[in-house]
Amino acid sequence: MKFKVRFALVCLIVLIMFILHNSFWLWGLDDKVPLLFGFMPFAFSYYVGYTFLALVAMRLIIALAWPDPPADIFDGEKEEGATRR
Amino acid sequence: MTATISIVLIALYFSVLIGIGIHGARVSLKTREDYFLAGRGLGSLAIFMALFASNITAFTIIGHAGFSYEVGYGAYGYVIGWSIFITPFTYYLVGYRSWLLGKRYGYATQPQVFGGIFNSKFVGLLFLILLLYYTVPYLVVSIIGGSLAFSTITDGAVPYWLASIIIIGISLVYTIPAGLRGTVWTDVFQGILFLIVAVLLLGAVAQALGGFSAITEQIVERNPAMLQRELSETIAPINWFSFSFINSIAVIVFPQMFTRILAARQSTNLKRVSLYYPLAMAGIFGVSTLLGVWGSVAIPGLSGMDSDNIVPMLIHQFLSPAWMIMGLVVILAVVKSSIDSQLLSITHLVTDDFLPWFKRIRSDRAVFWGRILLIVFAIIAYFIALVRPAAILSIAAFAFSGFSIILPVMIGGLYWPRANKYGACAALIFPAVMLHLWYLEILPGWTTFGFMPVFPSFVLATATLVVVSLLTEPPSQEQQEKTFGIFNRVFKYDDQASG
Repeated sequence: MKFKVRFALVCLIVLIMFILHNSFWLWGLDDKVPLLFGFMPFAFSYYVGYTFLALVAMRLIIALAWPDPPADIFDGEKEEGATRR
Repeated sequence: MTATISIVLIALYFSVLIGIGIHGARVSLKTREDYFLAGRGLGSLAIFMALFASNITAFTIIGHAGFSYEVGYGAYGYVIGWSIFITPFTYYLVGYRSWLLGKRYGYATQPQVFGGIFNSKFVGLLFLILLLYYTVPYLVVSIIGGSLAFSTITDGAVPYWLASIIIIGISLVYTIPAGLRGTVWTDVFQGILFLIVAVLLLGAVAQALGGFSAITEQIVERNPAMLQRELSETIAPINWFSFSFINSIAVIVFPQMFTRILAARQSTNLKRVSLYYPLAMAGIFGVSTLLGVWGSVAIPGLSGMDSDNIVPMLIHQFLSPAWMIMGLVVILAVVKSSIDSQLLSITHLVTDDFLPWFKRIRSDRAVFWGRILLIVFAIIAYFIALVRPAAILSIAAFAFSGFSIILPVMIGGLYWPRANKYGACAALIFPAVMLHLWYLEILPGWTTFGFMPVFPSFVLATATLVVVSLLTEPPSQEQQEKTFGIFNRVFKYDDQASG
């Protein structure tokens, strides 16, 4: 798969996560969904679930578009910092 | 008895920090890269705890609990929800590419990375000015918050001025000799301490209030509004949406966070940090949210600034005095881990990117200047924290927004070869001016269309970068190759192999 396609998938993941965070249409469930483990109302348990989803999303992003650099890529002349060139 | 235990515990805590400073000084080399970047050799745990501890402030446990007391369970998603995903994502989006350039060209700060990408000293200078402008007030506010908490929790036995001296002084004890290595090692110690005590505290408060289920049932019966996000004006959808552009995306722009990313030993370390980070942040803010909401039925009737004291009040009213000592140590840990990293970052920026405008500084002399400047900035920050000038406090109020609107230029420089120095300069200056006009209420409120000022400023920064870059001369092929040649080799390796 070309990098552009893989990166497009990454952008799609970000968009889905953004939509899931701004899911205002679910706010009506806040007082309807039973407490999770007897102490987590929906407004709280939703983000417990969201945290695990974020973990899966980051794992996917790493697999899709986060390659390790080739060993020789850091060879070559260093600069002393852009503001001093 | 309690006083003796307090003194012993606090003395033990300070001894560990001082020990770390002394040991860090022994193993540190006297070079610029070793002092400010720990020799670019930080492993996964060190970098994770450094990012976590530096990003946790007094707000996390004190301010956020107070906010949850007022707003309810919705405070959790509002403040940290988007951050749980997007902050580690920015470690990939911006952090990894910056780290590649840092390793290849020796860049150590944002002015160097983005001055280098845009081949412009002026872009580097703008980054320097803006980062200092927003970080110094943020540092002062951290000192004020920590000192107030220290003084409050000791019932005034340690006055505010002395609390500030203690907090700054102890931070300097390990930061001056050991540089970034000293702050990171103490971050590991303080971060673990903080996580453990926070979880224990939650359990102890829950037990004192009758158990997790019992206290939640009381909330459902006596204050059901705490469960419903729709009932809170503060977290209304338009604010909820706008806030996505403040807290979460600003983190990678903080110089203390950016520098720590550059100090990673390998790409794998950054990947691991991106996976650990959501769990840790969700955990710590979860504790803070629950304590705040539980406080709303355990100690009802607080409002305004009083609600910010809900955690100390819960401890004071429901737990033994020993917990107050633990609370004090945690507050010190939280406050100092952000103050030391901010102080070091400011010093790093000035040593590496400001002094060389006037005088060439050798690598070993940079360490000397760094140490001197640490002391100078600590003294300046102390006196500002004593005086508490209104101007500094008002800048700090929108510092997060200021950091956020720098992000489009960082992303543009790392992803769009056509982005040029003219676009970058315009996109750094124009939105920053607009942000001030909105926050200082010089422009009427309706001009933000109901959003918080950060959102239109962010859109303006993006649009300005694109439009001005397209209207002006593109970067030279050589300049583009210097940055994107590296990215193409790393990210498009498979494409080239298959093509």
